Amino acid sequence: MTPHLIVPFGSADWAAVAPPTVVGVAALVVILADLMLPRRARRISAIAIGIVGLIVAGIIALQGWHHPYVAFGGAFIEGGFAIVFEGIVIVAAIFSLCMSYGFARDDQIGGAIALMLWSATGAMLMAGAASLMMIFLGLELLSLALYCLCGLAARASAREAALKYLILSSTASGFLLYGMALLFGATGSVALAALANPPISAALFDIGCGMFLVGLCFKLSLAPFHVWTPDVFEGAPLPVTAFMSVVTKAGALAAVARFAYAALPQRDHAAILIPLWIVAAISMIVGNVGALAQTDIKRLLAYSGIAQLGYIVAAMAGTSALGLRYAIFYLGAYMFMNLGAFAVVTLLSRENDEGSRLASFAGLGYRQPVLAGLMTFFLLALAGLPPTAGFIGKILILATDVNTGYAWLAVLLIVGTAISVYAYFKIVRAMYARTIGTPVLPRFVPASALPWVGVALCAIATLGLGLYPFAPSDILPLVR
Amino acid sequence: MIFALIIAPIVAGVLLVLVPRSAEAFAKWFGVALATIVFIIVALEPHASDESLRWLSRPFVANFHVGLGGIGYWIVLLLALSTACALAVTRVPRQRDFVAQMLVLLGAMTGLFVARDLLLFALFWDLMLIPVFLTLIAWSPTRSTATAWRYLVYNLVGGLALLLATAAYGVVQGTTDVLAANPSMLAPISPAWAFWIFLGFAFAFLIKTPVWPLHTWMPLTYADLPAPMVAVVSAVQSKAGLYGFIVVTSVLLPGPMHGAAPAMFVLGLIALVYGALAALVQDDAKRVVAYSSLSHLGLIVLAIFSFNPIALGGAVVYIVAHGLFSAGLFIVLGEVERREDTRLLSRLGGLGARNPKLAGGLTILALATLGLPGLCGFAGEILILTGVYRAGFVWPAVVALIPIIIAAAYMLRVLQGLMNGPEVADVPQRRDMTPLEMLALAPLVIAIVLLGVNPGPVAASSRALTSAATALANVQTQSQSGIAYCKQALLDQRRNAMERAQRYLASLPRDVNGRPIVPTAQPATIGSVQEPSCLRYPDVMAAAVKATAK
Repeated sequence: MTPHLIVPFGSADWAAVAPPTVVGVAALVVILADLMLPRRARRISAIAIGIVGLIVAGIIALQGWHHPYVAFGGAFIEGGFAIVFEGIVIVAAIFSLCMSYGFARDDQIGGAIALMLWSATGAMLMAGAASLMMIFLGLELLSLALYCLCGLAARASAREAALKYLILSSTASGFLLYGMALLFGATGSVALAALANPPISAALFDIGCGMFLVGLCFKLSLAPFHVWTPDVFEGAPLPVTAFMSVVTKAGALAAVARFAYAALPQRDHAAILIPLWIVAAISMIVGNVGALAQTDIKRLLAYSGIAQLGYIVAAMAGTSALGLRYAIFYLGAYMFMNLGAFAVVTLLSRENDEGSRLASFAGLGYRQPVLAGLMTFFLLALAGLPPTAGFIGKILILATDVNTGYAWLAVLLIVGTAISVYAYFKIVRAMYARTIGTPVLPRFVPASALPWVGVALCAIATLGLGLYPFAPSDILPLVR
Repeated sequence: MIFALIIAPIVAGVLLVLVPRSAEAFAKWFGVALATIVFIIVALEPHASDESLRWLSRPFVANFHVGLGGIGYWIVLLLALSTACALAVTRVPRQRDFVAQMLVLLGAMTGLFVARDLLLFALFWDLMLIPVFLTLIAWSPTRSTATAWRYLVYNLVGGLALLLATAAYGVVQGTTDVLAANPSMLAPISPAWAFWIFLGFAFAFLIKTPVWPLHTWMPLTYADLPAPMVAVVSAVQSKAGLYGFIVVTSVLLPGPMHGAAPAMFVLGLIALVYGALAALVQDDAKRVVAYSSLSHLGLIVLAIFSFNPIALGGAVVYIVAHGLFSAGLFIVLGEVERREDTRLLSRLGGLGARNPKLAGGLTILALATLGLPGLCGFAGEILILTGVYRAGFVWPAVVALIPIIIAAAYMLRVLQGLMNGPEVADVPQRRDMTPLEMLALAPLVIAIVLLGVNPGPVAASSRALTSAATALANVQTQSQSGIAYCKQALLDQRRNAMERAQRYLASLPRDVNGRPIVPTAQPATIGSVQEPSCLRYPDVMAAAVKATAK
């Protein structure tokens, strides 16, 4: 395996990592602009530079479609799979930036946006990572930036969230790293492709796989490794929560998918992955039950995210090629409906109040009917009701689970969905119920119209993907 | 064209948000106009060809496939008619938003009854719950949302079971575009799969119908919904489950459908009797009608699971008939409630003296409900009872007669409690129905009479269960009158009896001359299910014996 390291890396290798590089450089430009521009132009320029950088990165990434390239001796594979996940990270980051106008103090905004972009860079590296080292590098870049971002708000709960996230996430990284070390010990290589070779010690291999998966499940916030999620989501500033809810999950999911689909030896493939499907099943139930009692939208969406990630992992059960495509489809759908809901919350937030309490939704259907209608639409999508991408995404997952012989997962998915309906419709009820004694909040104009753009695009995408479910093909092979 | 019938009301409903809130009259008449246009288009296009667009290619084929034909045609007509009539008498607070909900409901339910793809069917099944839930929340008279939750939880659990069953069916069959397909072209499904898939479908359909013991959401929902919406929901939405049994499970999963028949018979009979008895003691007039619906829909369950062509024709007639008179009843009760601020039988009385037109309307509708010959209720009931009896289920047919008698008792109780008797002093007596309100009720009454006199075309639609069974068959059967239809069905049965008799004779031992030894009928077996039904046609038997001897 070592000869790879002697080969000098050519321009094609650097071109393969161009999309994450562009995003990382854009972050530097944001900081430089922050130094030079007048104070009142800082916000809009930081957001604009970030969005332009992300779009350029997206365009560069799309050039590689149908031209997979294995860069850096197998550490990073640019190809269909990586491009799809990079695309999801880019779109999610753009929407998060749209929500960031009112976020942080004037003197913090440049740094905050730069951290968000670096975090996205980490997630994009994970999307293409095909070696254990690369996965860890991407994951830490992703997480370190987020620790800082979580603590940005002035509230005490924000500092608590940041600290909690730092400690728990570091523990998970420890698990992950230890698992990687054991896997390296068992196989003698850090390349994911090498895991398929017969291990030196089966026990080392199995324990390594287990710890590796535990670490990733923590990042995916799958139950029972989910306990940190609601607290961190609640404490972090709104755009950061929105960003985390999609981007960290997309990055970790890319690693899990590569590991589950491509890295494991054929013979005990199914046995090693069974715990993963069980964890997915637990998440669907725990996440939805947990969401029932929440009165804060951010906490509710945190629990909802736990369940939704359960659905996505369930789609990969049986590791069929179609299942992977549907997992990606559902991830995309989840991104739009989830970020749409977050954008609505952003439109309701004002100074000192993020608008995420259930009470701030009371009577919204009468104050702002359009916004309330759109929120209802996103909640319908999250609950998997028609006519949305969530509905068709669930159908696809159900079908693939039945097809691969995991009908029990399909049944649990339906049970979880049934529970979740109460959680989501609680918000709908708050918006439309005419209860006595709710204070009538005045209608007010949000700081910026950018979140409206996000809401509108998310709504169109959620509806469009429901009517024309488009799951990317040509995403295999995942490792060399 | 058919797509437009679905999309136009939904889009119009959503876009009504852009109309100023004060434009209440505009919203209302816009809704009436739209529903009327849907009615006219459907009425003029009984043979519209199917439309289809590809939706999914993998993991199974699913299409946006819609068609206007068979039973769905009549239900869509009923839907558009009842929506137009209900909207015309709408007078609720926040009228613009209410009309929007009604229009979304109209579009979603049109979609359900024209869907020819199982996945599309499931989509509209879930979609039609949402406007009703929102209405229950925003227009709840008690400001409590318990009813809304109960409605949503029951129906959505059913909807999710339907979804799972649909996905499983799609995987097993490879396509969900099956509702218009020739059943003989479909791949057979293994009994184990068929059983589980049927269970999912049946669960959803039974909750929706509803049958005992899954019915508890229904009286509450009907009592709390504003009158115009409950008219549409009871007229059409409650038929979705029965429609599903007729066009989905009995075509796609005949095996488990027949296996479930005994259980369904029991459930249908319980609903039939329980609903009638409960209707007898309600004080709230709306709840009387709600429980009477439970009873009537139980009768239709009985008809569907007797697998008899006459009963099935009757079931379709009764589906439409019940829609017509229950929509009318709820509209009239809504009028009463708006005038008197209450609908409790114990608090009202003697309205007929000051409101003769209202009393007249209620009388016609009550008579249709209790099955007066000449009105539509009778036509459905007699076909169903004849069919159930013909199918050999004598005792169920007899038991089913009892609630029909009770129906007379509770409907007359409503009529008497509201309209007759001494005037009650402490309720306001406002003016009688306006010409406009009478105009809104008139189409329903006319349809009730028309269907009562000539149920043939509606009954015949059950023969061509799917729109694929060519327009030609429709033309032939629709031209027959109801009586001719029944005669035809009896002749069909006779012809079947001949075949069955020959098969039966072939199974009997022979005597020395080669003649089959026909056992003389034992009194104990006559009329029972065990008895070979061909024995009931002595002339056919004699002919068959003669034929064998030759």
